[in-house]
Amino acid sequence: MEDFLIGAAQIFTLATLAYMLAGSVAGILAAAIPGFTVTMAIVLTLPLTFAMEPLQGIAVMLSVYVGGYTGGLISAALLGIPGTPSSVATTFDAFPMARNGEPGRALSIGVWASFFGTVISTIVLIFAAPPLALFAVRLGPWEYFSLIVFALTIVGSLVGSSVIRGMLAGLVGLAISTVGTDPMLGRPRFDFGIEMLQTGFPFLVVLIGIFAISQLVAEVEDADKVRSGNPLVTGAIDFQTWKVMKEVLMRPVNLVRSSIIGVLIGALPGAGGSIANLVAYDQAKRASKHSENFGKGETDGIVASEAGNSATAGGGLIPLIGLGIPGSAVDAILMASLMVHGISVGPRLILDNGDLVYGMFIAMAVASLMMLAVSVFSMRLFLRVTEVPKWLIVPVVMTCCVVGTFALNNRVTDLYLLIFIGIAGYTMRALGYSLAPLVLGVILGPIAETNLRRALMTDSDLSLFVTRPISLIFLTAALLSIAWAIRSHLKNRNTAERSSDASTS
Amino acid sequence: MRGAGPDEAKEAGEIARLLSYVVILLASFGLFFAATGIPTSRFETLGAGAFPQIVFAAIAFVAVIAIIDALRKIPGQAYGRFAAETGGWVRRRYLVFIILGALALYILAIPIIGFSIASFVFVFAVQVILMPRRTKSVVIALIIALIFSLGLNWLFAEVFTVFLPRGVF
Repeated sequence: MEDFLIGAAQIFTLATLAYMLAGSVAGILAAAIPGFTVTMAIVLTLPLTFAMEPLQGIAVMLSVYVGGYTGGLISAALLGIPGTPSSVATTFDAFPMARNGEPGRALSIGVWASFFGTVISTIVLIFAAPPLALFAVRLGPWEYFSLIVFALTIVGSLVGSSVIRGMLAGLVGLAISTVGTDPMLGRPRFDFGIEMLQTGFPFLVVLIGIFAISQLVAEVEDADKVRSGNPLVTGAIDFQTWKVMKEVLMRPVNLVRSSIIGVLIGALPGAGGSIANLVAYDQAKRASKHSENFGKGETDGIVASEAGNSATAGGGLIPLIGLGIPGSAVDAILMASLMVHGISVGPRLILDNGDLVYGMFIAMAVASLMMLAVSVFSMRLFLRVTEVPKWLIVPVVMTCCVVGTFALNNRVTDLYLLIFIGIAGYTMRALGYSLAPLVLGVILGPIAETNLRRALMTDSDLSLFVTRPISLIFLTAALLSIAWAIRSHLKNRNTAERSSDASTS
Repeated sequence: MRGAGPDEAKEAGEIARLLSYVVILLASFGLFFAATGIPTSRFETLGAGAFPQIVFAAIAFVAVIAIIDALRKIPGQAYGRFAAETGGWVRRRYLVFIILGALALYILAIPIIGFSIASFVFVFAVQVILMPRRTKSVVIALIIALIFSLGLNWLFAEVFTVFLPRGVF
C-alpha cells in the first residue's frame, strides 16, 4: 500500500501529468498517420525520456502506447486504412459505419471501447502481476532458460507468415546478441578487430533500425501511390459522447470478453494487438445474434476489435513485470528504457521497486483517461492529421531516428550501425521474414545465455533441464508450439493446394 | 505486380528466400567455427564460445530444413527467370533504393558538415524526391526541413543538453 501511494505521488505531479498529456497527444497523432506505427512512436519517444525520472519516463511511454492504440482507429474508421497493424479488424465495421454517414459515432464507439479495454486490462494486471512475480522469484536459472526458449519459439511460430522464417529470425536475433563482450566474463566475441563491434550491437539501435527505418523505407515502395496525395473523406462529425458511452456499456458481455481475449493474447509473448484485434472481432461475430451485420457497420464489431487491441497493452505488461520477459516489441522498448535508467527488470522488480510498478499501473489508468479526454475534446483536430502526406513523414521521421540513435550514447559509430541494420532489416522484410522475433532474440539472448551458463555452473548435470518440473513444462510447451505451428502450416498448405486444384480442374 | 504474372513473381521471391537461407547457412558455419576459437575458462563448464555455438548450430539446422523445403517448392524453369524478375522488382521499387542511398549519404555527411546542415539538405531533398512537385508543397518542405534540422538541433542542445555533431566547421 505504501508503494502504491509513493507511486501515485510520483505520477500525480504537474510535470509528469503534463508530459503524459503530451505523450497521449503524440501517440494519437502518430498512430493516426498511415505508415507510422505505435512501435515507431515509442521508439522515438525513448531518447526524450532519458532525462526524466524512471517512472516519469515510463509513464510518458505508456501514454504514447495507450494513445497510439486509439490513434490507429482514426485512419481505420475514416480512410479504411489501418493506421497501425493492430487496427486491421477495426476497419471491417468502423469504415462502413463512417461511410454510412456516421463517422462521429464510429470514432466515438471505438474510443469508448478502447478506454474500457484499457481499464479492464489494467485491473487484471494489478491482480495478476504480483502473484506471478512471487512465483517467478522461485524459478532457478534452469526454468529461466527454458522459459526464454519457450518465449522465442512461440514468437517465432506465431508472428508472420512462415514458421521457419520466424524461427530463423529469432535465432539470428540470438546470434546478433552474441556479438561484443560476453555477459558473464566479459570476453570479446566476434568483433573481428572492428572497433565498432567491440561493444556489440546496442539493442536500441537494432530496434530503431529494424522497426523504424525498414518500415519507413517500405512505405515508399509504390512510387505512384506516394506521389499522389489522396484526400480524406470528411463528413459531419457528431461525437454523441454520452449516448455512445451508454451504447458501449450496454454490451458488457462483448466488452469483457474482448478485453479478456486482449489481456490473454497480450500476456502471451509475441502475440500483440494485431492478433487480439482479429481474434476478438472473430469471437464477437461468432457470438452475435446478427452476425450477418458484421462487416456492414455493426457496433459490436467496433467494440470487440478496439477493446481487444487496447486490452493487450495491460496484458503485455504481465510477463514484463512478472517475469522480466517482454512479450512484444513495445514491451521490449519499455524494458529497455528501464534498463537505461539502471533498473534491472525481472521478477524482483515488483519486490525491489514496488513504487515503480504500482506507478506503472496508475499511469496506465491515467493514460487511458487522458486518451479519452483528448479524443473527446479534440477529435475534429486530429482528423486533419490523416492528411499528412508520406513524402513529409518519411524524411522527418528518419531524421528523428538518426537523432534518437545518436542521443543514446553520443556515438557517431552507432549511426553507421543504424544504416547497416536498416538495410538488413528492409532486406529481411522484403524476403518475408518477420522482424519481431529477431528483436526479441536480441533482447532475450544475453538473458538466456547468462541463465544457461549459471545453471551449468551450479550443477553441470544437463538433465536438470528436463527433470525440474517447471523447466520441463516450458520446454514441452515450446515443442508443442512448434508442432502446432507446423501442423497448422501443413493444413493451410493442403487447403491451398486443394483450392488451386479445384480452380484448374 | 506489373510486368510479370503473380506466379513468376512468387517463384522469384522463393528463390530470393532460398538464397537468403544459403547465406545464413554459410554465415552460421563460418561463425560456428570462429566461436570454437574463443578461449574457455576453467571456472565454467560452458565457455564464452558455447552459447554462440549452440545458436549457430541451431541456425544451420533450421536453415537446412528451410533450404530443403524451398527446393521442393521451386519448379526447375523458375531459376532461368530469376534475374529478369529481380531486375523488375528492383525497378518497381527504385524509390526504396534512392531513399536508402540518401540516408547512407546523410549519415556519412553528419560528422563532416554537422547535423544541422546535413539534416536540412537530407529532409528537403527527400521531400522533393517523394512529393508531387507544386510551389505550395516545396514551400512546406522548406519550412519542415528548417524545423527538423536547426530546430531539432536547438531543442536537443537547449532542452536535453545533448549536443548533436557540429561537423568540422
